[in-house]
Amino acid sequence: MTVTILIPAPLRRFTEDRASVQVEAKTVGEALTKLDELYPGIRERICEPDGRVRRFVSIFVNGKDIRSLQGVETPLADGDEVGIIPAMAGGR
Amino acid sequence: MIRIPREQYEAIVAHARQEAPREACGLLAGQGDRIEQVYPVPNRAELAVEFFAERGLIPPGRDYRPDAPGAIAVERFFMDPEDQFRALRAIEAAGLEHLGSYHSHPATEAYPSRTDIELAAFWPNMLLMICSLADPARPVVRAFRLVDGRVQEEDIVIEE
Repeated sequence: MTVTILIPAPLRRFTEDRASVQVEAKTVGEALTKLDELYPGIRERICEPDGRVRRFVSIFVNGKDIRSLQGVETPLADGDEVGIIPAMAGGR
Repeated sequence: MIRIPREQYEAIVAHARQEAPREACGLLAGQGDRIEQVYPVPNRAELAVEFFAERGLIPPGRDYRPDAPGAIAVERFFMDPEDQFRALRAIEAAGLEHLGSYHSHPATEAYPSRTDIELAAFWPNMLLMICSLADPARPVVRAFRLVDGRVQEEDIVIEE
């Protein structure tokens, strides 16, 4: 399964400024592992040491938040698009 | 210095007024130093209480129970992740650059708070526009950037 991972601007310093990266993966977790093999260090920006996605990061498969799917176990099909976005938050 | 057309500037103020007393938030897109389009994004702070709590960003003595919807959104914003993602894709599809974000301070000054500074660190060098409604008759909009953890103000030029 070739999937496209969309890299948010704040993480592009890991990916030589690439906005998207293609990997072969059957699940979101596997896609993140492959991404980290290509660009070491990027995974720990996205996941806790135990593999859970950090609370300030959201991951989307074709625009759906994986929290409402099967988390990092969410299966991927050929051509799927995996988006990664850090939260935007603040307040007075 | 950042330039913004009058109607986009007014859209930020109108969104801030519409959401008050909750904080309004959204994305800024354009090219270089010119904002061309603002993208309102729903504030889902009430779903992110633990996110703020684990960073020590809940004021002491404040009760932000999840069953008191809206309470936290008066003092915090957390962009709806799916809407934020959709807006970023729309910006890309429109051929614009994602320049930053805006939010409102319904009752305080238009200056980045400790919470703003801490959380903007995930998005370094991005533009941060804040609309204050502390004086409801006179909204104040200011623009900042966080560079190496320091707040730098950007002048705003409104294009008529």
